[in-house]
This record gives sequence, structure tokens and C-alpha cells, in this order.
Amino acid sequence: MTNKIDINVKHITRVEGHGNIVLNANNGTIEKLQWQVPESPRFFEAMVRGQRYEDIQIIVSRICGICSVTHSLAATKAIENAMNIDVSEQTDIIRVLLHYAEQLESHVLHIGYLAAPDFFGVKSVVPLTTTNTETVKTIVKAHRAANEWMGLIGGRPTHPITIKPGGFTKIPTEKQFKELQTKLQQTIQDLKVIADVIATVADKIPAFERDTEYVALKQTTPPTYTFYHGDIATTDMTEAIPVDQWHNVTNEYVVEQSTAKWTKWHRDSYAVGALARYNINAELLSDTAKEVAKMFSLEKGCCNPYMNTIAQLVECVHVAETAVEMIDGLLTKGLKEEAVTATPKAGKGAGAVEAPRGILFHEYEFDNNGICTGADICIPTNQNHANIQKDFEELVPQIISEGQDSIRLKLEMLVRAYDPCISCSTHMLDVKFVE
Amino acid sequence: MKNKTIVLGLGNPLMGDEGVGIYIINEFLKRKNDFTQAEFVDAGTSGMSILHLLEGYEKAVFIDCAVMQTTAGTIEKFSPADIESVKNLMHYSLHEADLLKIIDLARQLGQCPTDVVIFGIEPQTIGPQSKLSRTLRDNIQDYIAAITAELTE
Repeated sequence: MTNKIDINVKHITRVEGHGNIVLNANNGTIEKLQWQVPESPRFFEAMVRGQRYEDIQIIVSRICGICSVTHSLAATKAIENAMNIDVSEQTDIIRVLLHYAEQLESHVLHIGYLAAPDFFGVKSVVPLTTTNTETVKTIVKAHRAANEWMGLIGGRPTHPITIKPGGFTKIPTEKQFKELQTKLQQTIQDLKVIADVIATVADKIPAFERDTEYVALKQTTPPTYTFYHGDIATTDMTEAIPVDQWHNVTNEYVVEQSTAKWTKWHRDSYAVGALARYNINAELLSDTAKEVAKMFSLEKGCCNPYMNTIAQLVECVHVAETAVEMIDGLLTKGLKEEAVTATPKAGKGAGAVEAPRGILFHEYEFDNNGICTGADICIPTNQNHANIQKDFEELVPQIISEGQDSIRLKLEMLVRAYDPCISCSTHMLDVKFVE
Repeated sequence: MKNKTIVLGLGNPLMGDEGVGIYIINEFLKRKNDFTQAEFVDAGTSGMSILHLLEGYEKAVFIDCAVMQTTAGTIEKFSPADIESVKNLMHYSLHEADLLKIIDLARQLGQCPTDVVIFGIEPQTIGPQSKLSRTLRDNIQDYIAAITAELTE
């Protein structure tokens, strides 16, 4: 009897791009196994050319509705590096707080709405509103807290409008920061509840490991579990390299199976994201975050890509807990009214920050009037594509006898664990009228 | 106390007609003082975060680009019950979003306004450009009039 496996979840809508998983196997022999993805929206690089330096971060915030703060911050750092613009300590701290909010918002969304249905064996979060009502409400509450946090500092929940090269156009008041602190203390409790629930279904996380190179920012002065500062580090090398050498990390190349460019550094592929950050910086996590990691036996050196979701949960706790302390420090020093000062000049600069799904690079060049003459952006999802393919190649032979449905689910769960950003610049309705 | 109605413009203004909801919401934001019972929000492509904007309102009005198989530039007013989504999401990514599923989730959680109205506008051109197609630009005052009528009825 032949045992054929034919998985092809090819899917194309009119505009939004989606990844495709293709697996053809016959009697245990893999004939074709591919992760196929369309190019990310690189047209933004063309759209910012000719724009003024102070408008770039607003434009690039539209690259992604989930990572809009991250894109704005990466661009702003690159602009400031290009023009030698310094920012105050207060601006720096508030930016990190805003960036933390997006980590929490995106991670809770991923854990609750995308990964949890897999763990509970349902298609989406909607059935869980009936079977696990309180859990869903707790997830929604934590997600809402993060949204409000982003809105408070960014001026609106998505596509922030307060970030400028040189500073903020508006910052929250002391009273608002204190209210945020109180809410975050509740969020930490909510996250513990979510962690307890996820722990009950942790056995649904596939036990798959593949020795992998992980890449993330590393901050040594002071040592910090960083999302915003630092140099580029890898698990394959002791010393980190400066952000302006990011092209030496990504080494983008073209492959036949995908219109998206892939990347590689020391090996055929590398991974970015929460697990990469964890594997590089775990010892710098907050105490409660370390406790959550322990609950799931997540240890530095973990090479199970499915555990990226657990690393995200750990990071949720870390950012909420650390933010409470940072606000204390900010308020102790006293909030100051600061003018946004920046003088445009010619230059070229790169900026890197950690998007929720991994390290993000922006680079811009400007003329004397501060007009953008060149742009280059490399998103984390592109840096993960090759690694997803390599994971597929090692995983499928291990599970080839499990049957088509099980294999398909594990491949889909693997892709979801990376939470690729493959369809984020358009979200239009596509409908038919009920007759 | 919150206003009674929340009006959400959706889409990406850098993707041509896909961003028509944002162009329209910006027009309403310029004259928001004329609408004391409504709040206007540029929700961009925030996807699931829309969920958190709905609670506490009696009515939600969405303005979005919609492929409806009608003539480009057509505006249709409908409720979620009038339509079926033909989007086939893969659930690989948070970046996929289907407004109807978000409204459904809000309802399941008891956080959705009773009255939900969607204004869908059929696109002519979707692609990287920071302006609307001529067809939609020519109709923009008609769109604003239709939505204004909804908000002042």
C-alpha cells in the first residue's frame, strides 16, 4: 500500500500575501518540502525617498499594524544616528517604556489568539470564549492594558504620533504614569494566571529541537535584557558587532522557492525573536519572568522553536515588571518639559531595535536639507524564513509516519510559533452579500 | 462618559484605495466638533486591537475598503449580518485580520455595541501609493455625506 502525503496549503487573496507550506511525500520519501513566502512590503523604502527626516517615522509606522511602534523607533534611531542627534535620558526611558508596551501587546495577542487555540485543540480563539471564558477574558484584559499603555505614550494605540527625532512631542503626566503603574501591577497578576493556564496544556508543545544560531541585540552598559539598545549578538560568537555593520549579519540572498529574500550569518540560517533574545540575555530577566521560565523548564540554550511562544510569555512578565520599576525611577527624578530639538544635516545611519518577532534594521541616508535619499529595511520575518525551512527539513523526517493531519498541524504550529509578518500592510474586507 | 458612537476608519493610506477609511476619518477629525455624540479613530491596520476600541459604545461605525464585486467607487452600507467574509485566513500570523471575526469575538465577550454599521467602499487601485485613485477622490464628498447622514439621523 502506498502512503502518500500531499500537503499544499497554498492560499492567495487579492492583495494580502500569505506563506505556503508544501510537502509531497511517497512511502516515507520526501519529494518536496518548502516554506514559500512572498516578499515583504519593501516598497516603503521607495516611498520614504524624497521625504523629510521628521516625517519618516510616521510613514514607516504604516508598514505594520502590529509592530508600528517598533518600526517608528528603528527609523528614529537611524535618523538620529545619521544626523548625530542626541536625546535626553528621559526621552530614552520613555521610548523604552513605549517599546515595552508593544512587546506586551504583540506577545499577548500571539499567545492568546494564535497559539492558545493550538494548545486547546480548536481552530481559533472564538470557541474558547465558551469553553475557557475566564481565561480568554484575562487574555483580553492584558491585551487591552498593553493597548492603552501604547496609546498613552504613543498618542494613539497604533501608528504612534508622538515620536520625533530628538524627543517626544508630548509625554504623559505624572498622574498618568502612576495610573499606568497601578494597571501594570494588575497585569503582572493577570500574566501569572495566563502562565498557570498555559502550563496545564504545555504538553501540547512539540518536543522538537534543532541546533540553531540565534541572533539578537545585546546591551552590556548597563547589562540589560534589551529590546532597544545594544549591539548585534549571536549564539555562535562571543563578541557582538555594531549595528551599523548589520549588512554583515543579514547577508540577504535570493532563493527560487520564495520571492522574499532570505538571510544567513554563520550557518545556512539563523533565528530571531523572543527565543533568540532569551538565549542571549536570559540571566538579565526580572525575577518573576525567571520564575515563569522555570515553570516551563525553559533554559538558556533551548533550541525548540515551538518554545518561542513560552519565551514570549516570559518577556511579557519581564516588560510589565521592569516597567513598574522604570516608572518609579522616572518619577523620582521628576518629569521635565523638553523641547524637541533636531537640526537636519547630511548623513547616513542605521538603527536596530527588537520587534516582538525579532531584530529589525532600518538604514537611511539624507542630504543637507534632511531629505531622504536612500533607505534600506530588513524585517525580522525575512530573517526567519530560511530557519523555518531548515526546521521543516529536520522535523518532517522525524514525524513522517504520523499521518498527514498531524504533520500538517505540526508544520502550521511551527510557522505560527515564529509569527511571521507576511500580510500586514493591507487588511481590507473581502465579502459577498448574503442572499 | 463616553460618546454614544465610535467611528473607526480602517486601512493603510500608503496602499492607495485600501486606505480610503483613513482619508475619510481624517476629514471627520477636522470637523469633529460638529459631532458631539461621536468619537473618530484612525485605527489603521491594527487588526485585533480594534476589539478594545468598541466596549462602552452604543454604536460602532466602520469605514473600510471592501471588495464587494461592485463598480469601483461604490459605497455600500451594511451590517455584519448582511455579509459573509470570503477571506480565507491561514491563522499563521497576527498580521492577518478579518473585521467580521473581530466583531464576532467582541460579541462573544459581551463587549460589542448593539448597533454595528459598516460602510464598505469598492476600490479601484490597491498598491503602494499615498493617494486615492481618481474615482474615489471624485466621490469623497458623497462618502462623507452618506456617513454624516448616518451619524445625524
